[in-house]
Amino acid sequence: MTTESIISIKDVTKRFPVGGGEFTALHKINLEFETGEFSGLIGPSGSGKTTLLNIMGSLDTPTEGQAIVMGKDISKLTHKQSALLRNMHLGFVFQVYNLLPVYTVFENVEFSLLLQNWSAAERKKMVMESLEWVGLQDIADKKPAKLSGGEGQRVAIARAMVKRPEIVLADEPTANLDAANAHTIIQTMKRLSHELKTTFIFSTHDEKVMGYLDRIISLEDGKVKKEQQVEAKFSLS
Amino acid sequence: MKLAFILAYKNLIGAGLRTWLNVGILSFAFVLIIFYNGILDGWNDQARRDTIDWEIGQGQISFNQYDPFDPFTVMDGHGVLPEKDRKGLVPVLLRQGTIYPEGRMLSVMIKGIDAGQTALKLPTHLLTESDADIPVIIGKRMAKSARLKKGDEVLIRWRDDKGTYDASSVTVEGVFDCNVSAVDQGQVWMSIDKLWEMTGLKDHTTYSIITDGKINKVADGWNYSSREDLLSDLTRMIAMKQKSSSIMYGLLLTIALLAIFDTQVLSIFRRQKEIGTYIALGMTRMRVVWLFTVEGTMYSFLATVVGCVYGIPFFIYMSKAGMGMPEANQEMGIVVAERIFPVYSAGLILSTVALVIISATVVSFLPSRKIAKMNPVDALKGKMQ
Ligand SMILES: Nc1ncnc2c1ncn2[C@@H]1O[C@H](COP(=O)(O)OP(=O)(O)O)[C@@H](O)[C@H]1O
Ligand SMILES: [Mg+2]
Repeated sequence: MTTESIISIKDVTKRFPVGGGEFTALHKINLEFETGEFSGLIGPSGSGKTTLLNIMGSLDTPTEGQAIVMGKDISKLTHKQSALLRNMHLGFVFQVYNLLPVYTVFENVEFSLLLQNWSAAERKKMVMESLEWVGLQDIADKKPAKLSGGEGQRVAIARAMVKRPEIVLADEPTANLDAANAHTIIQTMKRLSHELKTTFIFSTHDEKVMGYLDRIISLEDGKVKKEQQVEAKFSLS
Repeated sequence: MKLAFILAYKNLIGAGLRTWLNVGILSFAFVLIIFYNGILDGWNDQARRDTIDWEIGQGQISFNQYDPFDPFTVMDGHGVLPEKDRKGLVPVLLRQGTIYPEGRMLSVMIKGIDAGQTALKLPTHLLTESDADIPVIIGKRMAKSARLKKGDEVLIRWRDDKGTYDASSVTVEGVFDCNVSAVDQGQVWMSIDKLWEMTGLKDHTTYSIITDGKINKVADGWNYSSREDLLSDLTRMIAMKQKSSSIMYGLLLTIALLAIFDTQVLSIFRRQKEIGTYIALGMTRMRVVWLFTVEGTMYSFLATVVGCVYGIPFFIYMSKAGMGMPEANQEMGIVVAERIFPVYSAGLILSTVALVIISATVVSFLPSRKIAKMNPVDALKGKMQ
């Protein structure tokens, strides 16, 4: 590999307090992610996928070990610094979209830009471009409640991509979608990953998603069971 | 800052009915506070003006054995003020008497006043213009209770300086209309010259009314009361009314604030996912706290706007039309006009707006602080904490 790791997970252990004791959700995980990678964490429910993504997204911190994201040790960031990291460099796509119901599609996508210093004209240009990427430029004024599931998730992708983050973390993004929509969504992300050199990390147990991944990391009981580079079954049409 | 206001506004408008319920109660509290205080201020203004115009002028110099709250002091509570001290004063002499309208017997206070005076609004010119032997004027309340009207004659009995009873017929030359029952109920006004003649108490006064404010020194045996001294009972009573009415609207404001507090608690609980999303999108927790606080504060802004929409026309109408006061209030010896015209001062309005905004901010901030302690992962999962 010529590129430097954009995320590096070193001996990460995560324990949660449960009842009187503790539950180990991640057990000494070691992983490296390269810029532009399109990879996925797969494994059964409860295997620790979400927990690991949250740590990489600096929404959570490891109990032991280090998570270095874009050269920064997650555990050592202040609230403000980790907010800044998320705002500038990280995009999130959630299983349930998490669109803000009172805002229009446009405003939902615009939100991260409002936290940065863009002029209204620049914001408009960026939002419309990002809606074009996902093919939704025509419904910019709709409210999330009026969208279909596939559209909702595409808005969420536009929201994650609008600030052109280095990394997008997508937690089971197709779990609530039918097959056709799942394919569209994942193809869109794959295309953007190519065009914008964005690193995508998924968590999934959706076979359809796996077909697009360059690299599959299997988790089981909080441990990395298997790591494999794959020749993507589906390529961009 | 601006972002928080825009987002808060969108969230509130997006929340629909609940927002308008909160805004409705809050604006009602707000309008009521201003309305009540406006009435009290208007009443205060009017009562002060009426009392000054009809009863006390710019102050009084009274004989020190006379106590206005003790009718037994009227008998001997009079004296002769040194001539050099009489400048700018309107002399008044009080005597107890009895009238016999239609054979009934009524105790009255006979008040002799310089008929040429203009310090008070009492129409004493009627006394000088009259041809009657003993002309008097009375107020409308007195006229009603004695069943007397202009032009009536009535028998009056009084005691002279030696304590001997005397009686004569007096003619009602005028019935005046005034809000100050202290110069009306149970009072018969006549020229002081006539009263001096009737009682043999030439130059004696119970008190004198000051026509202009400057009094340097008073003669021995006499007390000086400034205008404010004489108004202090009224001022105290209005302050008391203000306090007791503040309990009422304080209660209403509390209900409105509780509704906001409750909405905030509920909204923070229900919108955990949204809070988690804000944090994931790169807002700091403190910024989210601020966002929710602004959202709560926004209720008070909306309430101000809504309050203005129906409050301003209402206040304008009230200050033109006045508010009718029940008759009962006027009988209680308090100075109450039949109509009170509320006064809405800038100070009253601004301080009410400030009170509502500050208290709404506080009750919004208190529950929002919880966000600062939220774990974003739990928030995203919508887990209760
Ligand atoms: N906050 C928490 N407290 C206690 N246990 C947790 C917490 N978060 C996750 N876990 C546990 O950690 C394990 C891994 O969870 P998760 O990362 O969500 O798995 P996955 O996303 O692969 O389904 C699960 O058994 C889950 O119950
Ligand atoms: Mg999960």
